[in-house]
Amino acid sequence: MNWLKKAVLPLCLVSGLASAEVAVIVHPSNNATLDQAEITRLFTGRGATFSSGAKATPLNLADSAPARGEFDSKVLGKSSSQMKAYWSKLVFTGKGTPPKELGSVAEVKAAVAADASAIGYIDAASVDATVKVVAKF
Amino acid sequence: MKFGYLPVLVAAAVLSGTASAEVNISGFASVVGGKVLSGNGVPEFGLGPTFLANYPIVGVYEEDWTFKPDSKYGLQFSADLTEGLTATAQLVGRGADDYDPAFEWAYLSYELNEHWTLQAGKKRLPLYYYSDFFDVSYAYLWIRPAADNYTWQIFNYTGINALFNYQLGEWAVSGNIYTGREDDGKNKLLSDYFFRAPVREIWENIVGGVVSFNRDWLDLRLTYMTYENRRFIDGQPRIWSSTGTDTRRGKFMGFSANVDYNNWVLLSELNRLELDNSDLDTYMVSGGYRIGSWTPFVAYADFDSTGEVHNTTSVGVRWDFHSSAAFKLQYDSVNDKGYDGGQVAGDSKAITFGVDLVF
Repeated sequence: MNWLKKAVLPLCLVSGLASAEVAVIVHPSNNATLDQAEITRLFTGRGATFSSGAKATPLNLADSAPARGEFDSKVLGKSSSQMKAYWSKLVFTGKGTPPKELGSVAEVKAAVAADASAIGYIDAASVDATVKVVAKF
Repeated sequence: MKFGYLPVLVAAAVLSGTASAEVNISGFASVVGGKVLSGNGVPEFGLGPTFLANYPIVGVYEEDWTFKPDSKYGLQFSADLTEGLTATAQLVGRGADDYDPAFEWAYLSYELNEHWTLQAGKKRLPLYYYSDFFDVSYAYLWIRPAADNYTWQIFNYTGINALFNYQLGEWAVSGNIYTGREDDGKNKLLSDYFFRAPVREIWENIVGGVVSFNRDWLDLRLTYMTYENRRFIDGQPRIWSSTGTDTRRGKFMGFSANVDYNNWVLLSELNRLELDNSDLDTYMVSGGYRIGSWTPFVAYADFDSTGEVHNTTSVGVRWDFHSSAAFKLQYDSVNDKGYDGGQVAGDSKAITFGVDLVF
């Protein structure tokens, strides 16, 4: 299997370098504690409130943003295609609506900074004081 | 209570696009072609080599290439009327119906609270695991859910549906309870395929429920439905030998278990319909393994009742080549062991391929 390692390892390194850390962010006034299971619940439509009981509004990044794929695979444990199949089942049976999608990291950051109920994710390097980081993956 | 006009009203409300409402449009489509490679048909019905890929709409592959049986498109219009109220209408056109668009679904949805949502209107019957998203092929692995399982002539109902959603420890528990009726003036499967005469098929006093348990990689689902059936063939009521009247009761129950673990996918369902003092049993098992964007799969599905006995073995691959589109290629081998006139379409081997997308 040596040939396989030689072929696959460089790919892993390349994708390792390309994959940036993803920061899950909320409004600075939000004191909720969030673990991976709760973040998954909110982003799969299986829950709509924070641990405090307050309403949660999840915000997704568009397919084209690199952090979207990172979030889907690291946090939700699915590929973006699997998530799209999951949501199409719910949308077309009237059982759920996917999180609203925003086009860029800047838009997500601005939306989270402006809304106490919002929860989003951006690449960790783009975090600033306008938002609060609740988890990093 | 009469629901007959409700779907029309909902569809009109959604499309009129009241100034205050935000209307979301989404959709799905499948373009699938294929042909029968070999088959023996059913000589006693005068039927040549045939692969019946979709029973309810009579989606039939024969020896010439065709793109009709599994191709379809759907457009969903959803108007957020605010304060928890939404109106949704779904326009669906299928190749087997010459792509004639029809409002397949139209319902009002009201979110009572975080756990419960009430819906009224026309929806798809959630009998089997894939019944209510049967047309959204992008959402599942194969070109179509196992034809041997999804054989029932009625697939919509008009009525009331209550959806629920709870978290119990590690388990997400969701499901719905529904009641309603369907009066299909000219049922396609019964009229065009089985009786070769106009058949009006009525399922009424439908009462059913579904409950699903989800946790990490495991998905379990239980389903139950009971209904009363009346049928008019060429305008004449059918008198059922089991009851001696024009009404008979059917009871449907099913269990499904799905696993998605470390790139392995295992899908299964087991169902029974009790009708006329006999059992119509169906089951399906399928497995796949994800290798990047490729998922090769195998499947086996079976139908067993008095007289009608058939199964299908399938092998194929799904390739997620785009963020909202998948290519699929599938080979199906049908074994029709029907007896006493219970054959459906005979043995066949067929190849189908196509693209599913959502937008």
